[in-house]
Amino acid sequence: MNTLLLARLQFATTTSIHFLFVVVTLGLVTLLVGLQTAGYLTGKPIYERLTRFWGQLYVINYVLGIATGIVMEFQFGLNWSGLSRYVGNVFGAPLAIETLVAFFLESTFLGMWIFGWHRLRRGVHLALLWGVALTAYASAFWIMVANSWLQHPVGYEVRDGIAHLTDFGALLTNPTLGFAFGHVVSAGLVTGGVLMAAVSAWHLIRRTPDFALFRTSLRLGVLTTAISVVFLIGFGFAQFGPVGRVQPTKFGGGPERDALVAEWTARFGPGDYTPPALSSVGLGFMILIGFTLFLGTLLVPLLFRDWIIRLRFPLWLVLLALPLPFVAVLLGWIAREVGRQPWVAYGLLPTGQAVSPVGAGTMLTSLIGFSLLLGTLAVTNWVLLARHAARGAADPALGRPPAPDADTHPEPVFA
Amino acid sequence: MELAWYALLGLFFATYLVLGGYDYGVGLLLARRTAPATRRAALNAVGPFFLGNEVWLVAAVGILFGAFPTLEGELLSRLYPAVLGALAGVVLVTAGVQLRSRPAGERARAGWDRVVVTGSALAALGWGALLAGLLQGVPLRADGHVAGMTHVFTPFVAAAALAMLTLVAAQGATFLTLRLPATEVAPVARLARRLIPVAFATVGAATVLGLLSDRVRAAVVQPAAAVLLPLALVAALLAARTALRWRRPGLAFAATSAALALPVLLVGAALWPWALVSTVEPGAGLTVADAAASGPTLRLLGWLTLPLLPALLGFQAMCWWVFRGRTDGRAPVYW
Repeated sequence: MNTLLLARLQFATTTSIHFLFVVVTLGLVTLLVGLQTAGYLTGKPIYERLTRFWGQLYVINYVLGIATGIVMEFQFGLNWSGLSRYVGNVFGAPLAIETLVAFFLESTFLGMWIFGWHRLRRGVHLALLWGVALTAYASAFWIMVANSWLQHPVGYEVRDGIAHLTDFGALLTNPTLGFAFGHVVSAGLVTGGVLMAAVSAWHLIRRTPDFALFRTSLRLGVLTTAISVVFLIGFGFAQFGPVGRVQPTKFGGGPERDALVAEWTARFGPGDYTPPALSSVGLGFMILIGFTLFLGTLLVPLLFRDWIIRLRFPLWLVLLALPLPFVAVLLGWIAREVGRQPWVAYGLLPTGQAVSPVGAGTMLTSLIGFSLLLGTLAVTNWVLLARHAARGAADPALGRPPAPDADTHPEPVFA
Repeated sequence: MELAWYALLGLFFATYLVLGGYDYGVGLLLARRTAPATRRAALNAVGPFFLGNEVWLVAAVGILFGAFPTLEGELLSRLYPAVLGALAGVVLVTAGVQLRSRPAGERARAGWDRVVVTGSALAALGWGALLAGLLQGVPLRADGHVAGMTHVFTPFVAAAALAMLTLVAAQGATFLTLRLPATEVAPVARLARRLIPVAFATVGAATVLGLLSDRVRAAVVQPAAAVLLPLALVAALLAARTALRWRRPGLAFAATSAALALPVLLVGAALWPWALVSTVEPGAGLTVADAAASGPTLRLLGWLTLPLLPALLGFQAMCWWVFRGRTDGRAPVYW
């Protein structure tokens, strides 16, 4: 086994798992902000119950987002020291900004939000969730800035064999950034919306006693999905133009690709400069799933007089749609990342030159160890999510009021 | 400018060791055979701070990548086994602490507690090994090649990893002495008083092995720092023991925190101006100045992040203020 392949496999595994949790985080936190704000403004208890139920699922999901995120952050140095050596001056900056400006605050806010129920004033508690959501979006933005730079390096010059930053503004106006960020954010909202609608549909199919609560979250989930799927598809197709122009090898043939391959062959020597077929296959299936989810907009008229619930079969459709956004985000990620191979920074640094000079044995140990660890944790996390989703909103542990002090020395509640 | 960023990197990593130290310390103490209620109370004492503590590590690595990209690649890949252990530990603790109370059954919770104990031990051992690995230098060649990973496994690294483990355990026990309800403090206070001499012994062993190691002696550029800072560490441990005896848990916590931050200062100061010392070719190491990102990158990071530092520290301080004092029945129990 060669080190390069092992390192790539490890990055693909970790990032895939990370992405599955992160899209849910982005989508759910937006919906939670809506729910808690509605509760704050109207004072209706149903919104607080909704916030606690969906908040608990959000918090459980968040755990694996952090765990896989930390592993990814370290992997750049562990497995890809060539990347940090040659392009770290430019690529490192948006990542550093992301950790300091966005993620650092996001987690600090979230810790206070989880433990702040019944302890902080309601306005402060709501503001914390707004903080979590805003920093989550900021985090996604900076990560996309870094990723877009690898897709299309801009704003740098190479001196002494190392890339140096010359124009940070160019990183922010990167043609591969804007639509892609919109696409990822919409994907998060669609995933969050489908998840919320599907869990609610399951409870409504089973004729839950909590009808009003799950009716509200079904409507919210269906509407969110229907609105954001339009943006999702729009931002998706909008990328073909700019990405095709700066990455002629990504979407197949043409004279531009041949010219670029000839130029690379002259500069970097002969080699296979076309991406694996996997990327275009992934793209095709993702578009199919996108259109399938778009059909979900047909459910919106059924929200009128609760026909969606009374007819029952639409509930089954919603429930069966649950895996679709998850498969689609993985395929989309494959299309974007595998599609720029064999480059780690497109046209600048070949993937083979970025890998760390460590032995294959070490790399294999790391690959197997972390894939098993993160895979097991991911499955466990999904099982816990499913159980908590199935348990319903009767009494989530999140935001449970503290027990009254019955005896003289206070003891925490152990439920 | 490089020095300022190096100091900031050290500050973030040291703060992570201090704050993450009590996360892992409390995690290690779950290994005691105590009632489920006691274990849950310990975890909820850490509760509100846990996420805010772990992010110091993420931010430290962010600074490492942004401001010292070359160092990031070299350091992490040369000390692969240590980083791997620490990272696996951090992942296990992060998942274990947050998920352990989600199943309702005591058996499942006890299983998760074992995950937290294992993770805490791995994290503490890994970070101790990483710092010791830096202090003894890495076989760095000018062509960038390194053969095998056996250079990490030395008695000094093992002793330092063990020292970090005991320091972290002492930190955890001291934190609980400070934070649990006054009526439940006596057992952990006793434990903290017993753990500090153990930490004292392991730190002493690591120091002796370090002084005996040729590689450490060759790598250290500033012998004054390398002698004075371990003495300061010993003094901090003595202070912690005295403070615990006087029933001043706040002072004791400050002292054990200093004991956890000092190793970072020790590594940074003893090797200065080097960031990474080569054991095979004297000139092939990395100085702090060489390891730093080029001027425009550092200036950009400075303009963007430094104005926000007060906000970062402010919101952390808000978290400590809101959840100050001992735990009681008023706070929700989530973990």
